[in-house]
Amino acid sequence: MNEALLSIHVRRKAFGDTLVLRDVELQLQPSEVVSLLGPSGCGKSTLLRIAAGLDRDYSGELNSAGESVAFVFQEPRLMPWLDVARNIGFHDDARYDKAWVGQLIDEVGLSGFAQALPKALSGGMAQRVAIARGLYSRPRVLLLDEPFSAVDAFTRMKLQDLLLDLARRHDIALLLVTHDVDEALYLSDRVLVMGHRASGIGSAIDVGLAQPRDRRDSVLAELRIQALTQLKSAHVV
Amino acid sequence: MSASENTLPKAAPAARPVSPAWRRGAKGWLLPCLIVAVLEVVVRAGWIPAYQMPAPSDVAVTLVELAQGALGKHVLASVGRVLAGFVIGASLALVFAAWVGLSREAEAYLEPTFAGLRAIPSLAWVPLLLLWLGIDETSKVVLIAIGAFFPVYVNGVAAIRNIDRKLVEVGQMYGFNARRLTLRILLPAAMPGLFTGLRSGLSMAWMFLVAAELIAATKGLGYLLSDGRETSRPDIVLAAILALAVLGKLSDGVLAAVERRCVSWRDAFTGEAAGGSS
Amino acid sequence: MTLYSRLSKPLLAATVLLASFASVAQAASPAEVRLDYAYYSPTSLVLRHFGWLEKALPGTKVDWVLSQGSNRSLEYLNGGSIDFASTAGLAAVLSRANGSPIKTVYVASRPEWTALAVRRDSPIKTVADLKGKKIAATKGTDPFLFTLRTLQQAGLSKDDVELVHLQHADGRTALERGDVDAWAGLDPLLAASQLQAGSQLLYRNIEFNSYGVISVTEKFAAEHADTVVQVIQAYEQARSWAREHPDDLAALLAKESGLPLDVAKLQLSRTDFSDSQPGPKQIQALKAAAPILTAEGLVRKGVDVNEVVDRLIEPRFGAQVIGKQ
Repeated sequence: MNEALLSIHVRRKAFGDTLVLRDVELQLQPSEVVSLLGPSGCGKSTLLRIAAGLDRDYSGELNSAGESVAFVFQEPRLMPWLDVARNIGFHDDARYDKAWVGQLIDEVGLSGFAQALPKALSGGMAQRVAIARGLYSRPRVLLLDEPFSAVDAFTRMKLQDLLLDLARRHDIALLLVTHDVDEALYLSDRVLVMGHRASGIGSAIDVGLAQPRDRRDSVLAELRIQALTQLKSAHVV
Repeated sequence: MSASENTLPKAAPAARPVSPAWRRGAKGWLLPCLIVAVLEVVVRAGWIPAYQMPAPSDVAVTLVELAQGALGKHVLASVGRVLAGFVIGASLALVFAAWVGLSREAEAYLEPTFAGLRAIPSLAWVPLLLLWLGIDETSKVVLIAIGAFFPVYVNGVAAIRNIDRKLVEVGQMYGFNARRLTLRILLPAAMPGLFTGLRSGLSMAWMFLVAAELIAATKGLGYLLSDGRETSRPDIVLAAILALAVLGKLSDGVLAAVERRCVSWRDAFTGEAAGGSS
Repeated sequence: MTLYSRLSKPLLAATVLLASFASVAQAASPAEVRLDYAYYSPTSLVLRHFGWLEKALPGTKVDWVLSQGSNRSLEYLNGGSIDFASTAGLAAVLSRANGSPIKTVYVASRPEWTALAVRRDSPIKTVADLKGKKIAATKGTDPFLFTLRTLQQAGLSKDDVELVHLQHADGRTALERGDVDAWAGLDPLLAASQLQAGSQLLYRNIEFNSYGVISVTEKFAAEHADTVVQVIQAYEQARSWAREHPDDLAALLAKESGLPLDVAKLQLSRTDFSDSQPGPKQIQALKAAAPILTAEGLVRKGVDVNEVVDRLIEPRFGAQVIGKQ
């Protein structure tokens, strides 16, 4: 009997004739940060969508132990006709929890922008709103699909730190999909490396460093080499 | 998350100095005033016979006379018909657009029929409606409703089809049911396209109104138009046209104002550099 | 390049231009003469059928246009689409009063071609019963003006009824379908409605009918006076044929209008071709009728309709031809 927040086993998942996932297993423990690392088309996003319940057309089991799960997409996907506050509280329509939304706005660093419309926000700011929206329902698990791939490198680093801070503060486990090796290593406790389509999770890298980490840490550099080696052997790079 | 990130608004090009609104509006009046002045001179000098093209001052006098007389009755009749026809046609169109837009099955059954009906020109409907519904108000309002229906329907379907699938997915992620999905995401997202259709439908309604009133009417601006035609009064014809133009513009202005209020969130190209956030 | 070849192109262009101007120039006979014909003007049908005008004007192209009523005929005349318009006399007065520079040069007939018709089983028995009812009448035509004069005589104005503007044929249909309560009919459609649908004449009055006349624009009369005379001459030919061959006339009218022979006969029975020269009789009749135009606001304020009638009637063309054969 494990206390995994999220347990997923995909026996087979195909889009038409193309097999995408085969025999993939994954478990997420409380307060854990796990990354799925791999190239485009390796099925990592598909696996995440299955975990989120957005894709039900597969054979396998999904067990989220009744915990609430929230999803953050690659694009902010804010409703352009709603201001920041209403976007964050979108789940509850007009009866959203104003105090909680206000707190979240402060936590993601957007104080004062509660009434701003999405068209007035930069990419990084919009993604902050998307993260706040994900946190609104007080999930135990946050699933993120390449959340920072659309912003520049510096904004990305700031948002990574923000994410870790929020996860720690609200005791949320993160399952993150990324194609950025450095991001995976910086954020995660475990990095699951996926190869080409249907090859599943090839290997796992345990990052034993405590948070908060220093990007310049040499351990990260070594782990990077390890990850690249694994990717190379999977013929990805 | 330093403060500098928060104070970076979306990059906006430097705002060009914009002339005050009144001056821009005044520019729009220059061309019509010029045309009127030229016409006045040409007709008074006799280069164009007055019985074919009355001088603008004559038309103005006629307008004043009409305003003191029956113009109000005609305006009321026309506006009433347009309103009734537009409301009926647009409402039906919105219902059908939602149905066809959201259901592939409905689209497969209904769209070909609507496409065929849409191709029928306005005047072709007139004899049929006169035959089935007589020469009373019913046939006129139905004709106007037909005119308003198709632009609203076509734009409505397009608006729904153009909704970003990504936004819909957000709703699905939240587990919204069909009703909640429609009300909370589909409807607001389709607003810009819907309004385009509504404004287009309104101008069609005015056009079909004139067609309806040219045939078998006892009051209205189209009736006034044909009155002037049959009694060799081109000044009445022009006065009626002017009244129609003014009313058409006013009604469109009302709709445009409503549109501005409802879709001010749209992040669209406005044709001119605008600074900063809203 | 020689001088000739250098000039040939502009020369050719100039020649083409001059040739096209020639048709508009101050020539005595125009290159083209356009007349209208109508079922309410039987002699126009005769003239068109026998082609006497084409024979009289060999170098000129003669075009015929069908007019559905005085309103259409005057519209074509004012718009320059025809040169000779067949209309009711009072309709021509109305058009002139509103600024159209036209002259009435010939009287085609003296018909009783309009009356107020009701359905066969109609409960309406008198003109006063028409108050608040729907009457179909074609604006700008004799039936329309007949209706106004009839209403005025009964103490009603056009605002006391609902006048529905429908062209003559549509008005007949509306009456027979029951969409309107009365119809200001025009022959031959009026006769057809009487004979085919049993419609009754609620009110008839020959004095309220204002002659069938032919009008031209002042410009045409000034530029092509000879042509006007020739056309009147041709019409006179048609008129004498009509008086001498009533049965053939009825057959021709029936054939052209597509209506049965008895309808044509009924129309012709109330049409008089005896007098064709516009003169004091017509002027007097039109002046008696003209006040209705002012009373119902059909003409602009301040227009002297009597003066309009005087200026409209132009007898001098007809005087050269009529009575001199």
